[in-house]
Amino acid sequence: MTAATAQNLPGHSLARLAAERAAKQEALTAWKLAAPAVVLIVGLVLLPTVAVVVFSMTNFELGYDDFQFIGFDNYVELFGDRTFLISLKNTAIYTAIVTPLSVLIGLGIALLIESETRGRAFFRTVYFLPVASLLVAMATVFQYLLHPTLGPVNALLALVGIPGPNWLGSSQTVLISLAIIGVWQSVGFNMVLFLAGLTAIPRELYAAAEVDGAKSGFERFRLVTWPMLGPTTLFVTTISIINAVKVFETVKFLTEGGPNKSSEVLLWTIYQEGFVYLRVGYASAMTVIFLGVLIVLMFLQYRVLDRRVHYT
Amino acid sequence: MHFLTRTIATAAIATGLCAPAFADTTLNVHYPMPGFFKDVMDVISKKFMEEHPDIHINFVSPSATYEEGIQTILRQAGTSEMPDVTFVGLNRLRMIAERGVNVDMKPLIAKEGDMEKQGFTDHILKLAQVGDQQVGLAFATSNPIMYYNADLVRAAGGNPDQPPKTWDEVITLGGKIKALGNGNDGIDFRWQGDEGMFSALLFGAGGAMLSPDEKKVAFNGPEGKAAVDLISRMVKEGGMPVLTKPAGEQAFVAGKVGFAFQTTGALRNTIKNVGGKFDLRTGPIPLLNPEKGHLPTGGNAVVILTKDAAKLDAAWTFAKFAAGPYGASVVVPGTGYVPNNELAAKSSEYLADFYDKNPLFKTGLNQMNLMIPWYAFPGANGVKVTQTIVDNLSRIVEQSATPDVALNDAADEVQKLLPRH
Repeated sequence: MTAATAQNLPGHSLARLAAERAAKQEALTAWKLAAPAVVLIVGLVLLPTVAVVVFSMTNFELGYDDFQFIGFDNYVELFGDRTFLISLKNTAIYTAIVTPLSVLIGLGIALLIESETRGRAFFRTVYFLPVASLLVAMATVFQYLLHPTLGPVNALLALVGIPGPNWLGSSQTVLISLAIIGVWQSVGFNMVLFLAGLTAIPRELYAAAEVDGAKSGFERFRLVTWPMLGPTTLFVTTISIINAVKVFETVKFLTEGGPNKSSEVLLWTIYQEGFVYLRVGYASAMTVIFLGVLIVLMFLQYRVLDRRVHYT
Repeated sequence: MHFLTRTIATAAIATGLCAPAFADTTLNVHYPMPGFFKDVMDVISKKFMEEHPDIHINFVSPSATYEEGIQTILRQAGTSEMPDVTFVGLNRLRMIAERGVNVDMKPLIAKEGDMEKQGFTDHILKLAQVGDQQVGLAFATSNPIMYYNADLVRAAGGNPDQPPKTWDEVITLGGKIKALGNGNDGIDFRWQGDEGMFSALLFGAGGAMLSPDEKKVAFNGPEGKAAVDLISRMVKEGGMPVLTKPAGEQAFVAGKVGFAFQTTGALRNTIKNVGGKFDLRTGPIPLLNPEKGHLPTGGNAVVILTKDAAKLDAAWTFAKFAAGPYGASVVVPGTGYVPNNELAAKSSEYLADFYDKNPLFKTGLNQMNLMIPWYAFPGANGVKVTQTIVDNLSRIVEQSATPDVALNDAADEVQKLLPRH
């Protein structure tokens, strides 16, 4: 609405007019301020995502000049592709092991550190180290630790008379071994998030619970800590799932998806198709599915769980 | 302020003067695996520019692996960013050729006339041919050899000076080494990663991957069957554990494996990692059929990408230099690859002395006459075929399928991946 039209309308006070102008000015400033971020998000996130979706409907292969639009053929092929289905299944199993374990252990360690004042900083640092370390470098260490004949892990097991498994070499155990490394890596991060959540819980609630008869530590945990940590737990779980679905480095450096596809996971399959077999179109279709899975998971968590954990 | 402008002006003049005065042509050169090749490339380009002051070599940032290298090249193909010269894995040459990215060297070689005199025999040229195209010149070449731990061989009652000549002998001795206990294993055969070592057995038996017209799988014939049976026997009788690739390498250099079979390209690193831990030796890899057997050639070739007539001559000069005797005399000691140039191997000006002093390197050299191209499968799924074969081999090594079943499954799956026309 311009000033000219406003003047024709009776009842529009000058003050109102000024307020409107100010609001418009503010909106404009807001857009200006947000512009760099908007441009970056469009350019670096939205456009590439759209490009991936477009590519997923072509038969584009790196090195060939032309490509055709082939509609949903890539997606049809995907769901008949044994490798992709194995990959989906393995990623699901990996996530199902890593997420609950890393969340629960992270919480456990956070509670232990929180309840003891001595050496708090020390333990916090120690448990956080895996997060700060380079997984590629640590993969080499794990490769040695889990070596079936040279590795200290199997040497220790042998001391107590247990024949150690062929951790990364056997198709029976490779996914579990990778999951153990995954848990090791994410526990520290989860712990830090839980520690932050724990400090935010008002002390009076514990005192009140004790007065109300919650005598044991476990009761206090069940009645105060766990409900109050709800939003943190939701966040930690979400992050853990995303990280678990994104497993790649350990697979690339330790097993290359083997033996016989038993550690084939989504990102590795996408990497192979796109970067080794150069089938960009097909790899894009996988990426779209991968994004879809993540979006559905996020949606479920925020829609279904969000309502149960926030108490306002 | 005055001082500042003057400094800037001086600097500008100085840099202008320092620019190579003779560099009429600048070649942008790209190469993979800097861990292996950076030093080698620096030495070669320095010497090259001394000899050819009118050509300037400019290295663009290298790629970590052969695969990433190809990716970069294909992405840049047809743009101004595309380098003029690159180095491509021998088993990936077909990919480049099928996409028409490279310059065919056939006419250049024809113009040259005396390639043989410069050490490029027909045998060596063949390694980098695809169909009737000369895609590149072999730059670093390797073949599979047998590495063995002489201490373990001795402990198991073998004679390290007379390494096993047949696979039967390897398996018997491997079994004995495993029986020594103490975590020792007999054999580590590099079946993981790619199909290179499987083709070493297959070609060694005189077999081929596909029929001559490249329409049908041929590796499931008697030669292929002998190859997979042998892998199965290595596990059952020869004391071969199920290991990942890095675990296998680690076990061998730790002195816990009797025999390791892999490319001679890994020799320099193996020597370094073994250090003084045990008496490391190398020997020829046994052939299932000593009369008809061959070995696949790993490594890479220098490939010309520039189609610019002005640059082509310079690129060809550099390609010949890098793949020539001087290039080989730099590559071989630095890596363990075998010379890709006849002249380099035999002339004392280049490498003859080196081999006298480093007998471990001799095995690969002595097998040079057995080398045939590492077979690259045709069509869009060429690389995927590799993974299919490896996956089925892992079933044999894990003993979750009989060699026959795994071989036939591999043949069926590969047949489906071949172009249908």
